[in-house]
Amino acid sequence: MELTANAFGRNARKALLDKTLQEALGRTTGRFLAHRDAAAAAFPEFEATRERASRIKRDVLDHLDTYLARFIEEAEKRGTIVHVARDAGQAREIAARIARDEGVTLAVKSKSMAAEEVSLNEALEGAGVTVVESDLGEFIIQLAGEAPSHIIAPAVHKTREQVSRLFERHLGEPRTDSIPELVGMARRHLRAKFLSAGMGVSGGNFLVADTGSVVLVTNEGNGRMGTALPRVHLAVVGIEKVIPRMADLPTFLRLLPRSASGQTISSYVSIVTGTRRAGDPEGPERMHILLLDCGRSAILEGKYREILKCIRCAACLNTCPVYQSVGGHAYGWVYSGPIGAVLTPLLVGLPEAAALPDASTLCGACADVCPVKIPLPDFLLELRSDARDQGLKTPGEIAAMKGYAGVMKRAGLLEAIERIGGVLGQFFTKGKGIGGLPYPFSGWTERRDFPAPAAQPFRKLWKIRRGVTR
Amino acid sequence: MRAEGPIPVSLFFTCLADAFSPGVCSATVEVLERFGATVNVPLSQTCCGQPAFNSGNRKEARAMARKFLLSFPDDGYIVTPSGSCATMVKHGYPALFRDEPRTLARARAVGERIHELSGFLVDVLGVTDPKSDFSGKVTYHDSCHLRRGLGVAEQPRKLLRAIPGVEFVEMEESDRCCGFGGVFSIKYPQISCRMTERKVERILATGASYVTAGDLGCLLNIGGLMSRIGYPVKTIHLAEILAGKTAATSVAG
Repeated sequence: MELTANAFGRNARKALLDKTLQEALGRTTGRFLAHRDAAAAAFPEFEATRERASRIKRDVLDHLDTYLARFIEEAEKRGTIVHVARDAGQAREIAARIARDEGVTLAVKSKSMAAEEVSLNEALEGAGVTVVESDLGEFIIQLAGEAPSHIIAPAVHKTREQVSRLFERHLGEPRTDSIPELVGMARRHLRAKFLSAGMGVSGGNFLVADTGSVVLVTNEGNGRMGTALPRVHLAVVGIEKVIPRMADLPTFLRLLPRSASGQTISSYVSIVTGTRRAGDPEGPERMHILLLDCGRSAILEGKYREILKCIRCAACLNTCPVYQSVGGHAYGWVYSGPIGAVLTPLLVGLPEAAALPDASTLCGACADVCPVKIPLPDFLLELRSDARDQGLKTPGEIAAMKGYAGVMKRAGLLEAIERIGGVLGQFFTKGKGIGGLPYPFSGWTERRDFPAPAAQPFRKLWKIRRGVTR
Repeated sequence: MRAEGPIPVSLFFTCLADAFSPGVCSATVEVLERFGATVNVPLSQTCCGQPAFNSGNRKEARAMARKFLLSFPDDGYIVTPSGSCATMVKHGYPALFRDEPRTLARARAVGERIHELSGFLVDVLGVTDPKSDFSGKVTYHDSCHLRRGLGVAEQPRKLLRAIPGVEFVEMEESDRCCGFGGVFSIKYPQISCRMTERKVERILATGASYVTAGDLGCLLNIGGLMSRIGYPVKTIHLAEILAGKTAATSVAG
């Protein structure tokens, strides 16, 4: 996927002017958020469960090697072929090789952010495979030639009218306003693909170390069909998704749907453990798991390791006032919202995405809702500091900060500046607000006034009260 | 109420209020004195360094934080009319000095002593009646740092409800960011304004004559947008309501 994270400002301005997007954002994120809050309030153990999940994930990160080795051993015992990709290029090579070796020409794919991360579709298409997205949202944006803009609702930015037009153009279906009818059209189209595809591609919400299972949490039947019907199943999953035991799964299954959409449980939870055994009515004959490192080991070694606790619920997106204002595409890569603002610079390198950590007011709403308690605002602050250390700040900002600190180190100097400011402020604004500040503050006053400095700052007033003469 | 005797309080008046709304600082002193505090104002204080810290310029932030730590005496309460500045001292300083054990210990000790005004009045002094003669219909905006950084949300509401002349009305999404975010509003002014517009819509929907908060930054931001558009709602700092002022500090005032 093309990386435009550093164009966040430009992307965001475009998004702010996109009326359809603005309506969709208000509608969907608000609904998800309200449902999430209600679900959290109605579940008395929510806080305790969050705490337990956070602890389990921290333990996973402390012993990731051990748990991964266990996972691989158990999965292989059950006939699964496990591959590990160091980087995106290697992931694409492995996926293409699997498709060629298995003789696949059509693949049905269910939603996977990990697959987006390595541009898996391109790799498969390069190997002569037609890839059909089978998640409704993904199917829609595939027809539109776009990327997902939300972790759990990839087509959140599309209206039903836009979807209907896409279906008319690409599937030859009649125009309709009815959502059930649109869903029916997609279902009919996709069912034929499920029945003829040689391979099903999925992501994975959890990898269970003690059973070698891949767990898929979905709200559409597509994940189940894609993993049960085709001859081959390929699951693409980040290495950090491993959990120690099957007994830990309920903790996460309680948190993920509640945090994501406010559901008590998702419509489908598929636990895929190995290939079809003798007597099994369904299931793949061959199963591959492609584990993605792609920068994760490096993150694990550093101060941001807790970001790997993320279970991709998107609660932080839904609650983030910046995400709600500009949507997912503005963030310029696979992951958006607060999690994207932290994860993207870590995965693609801070110089490629230094604009993202600044894309937050540090309001802290994301940390309030994170089911595994990732300190997202602290990480945003830390990344901003890294940007300074890595020479990614503009000389203007550094000079301004040095000047500001220079003044603030001396109360007398500050007082002198306030006195001049007070005189100028009163002179130019006659006690009213300032309507236009010079660059780089000009954006601030484009639609807002800024107050004029007071004629007598408090320090002066206090000195007068105390009878202190200068 | 707290035990008899004078309560020593050092006022951290904040650079923003000092320069733009000195009335907020005076009101804070007035309220503190009303409830038995002897207020000391260290005149060597300047800025806590929050803008530098929040923009990742930690070297500069450390210089200002050191100055802050030196400006305040070694004991007694430190009270400030700002949730975000108090949060900076309480939570930002330990991050800034994590590699300097001695300064870190001093920062933690100062962090223990610092309070935002409404939290101090309710939690430390046990004030139930602010004894204010302010009157008007008022709505309250939860500034992010006050609510999430310090956990102060009920205290200002309790105080507002206890003022006989105040008709308190909750706005929707009162805890949603107003879009200021310090450097954010300079780096991404369009997104910031969009967020402020949403906040202002919620304020207008209450029909209140005043919007108040425990952070001047939010009020300058919200007031700046309302002033430009010419909305009739006045922004006023919580300290001024508690002191019983009727003149708003707002640029819209």
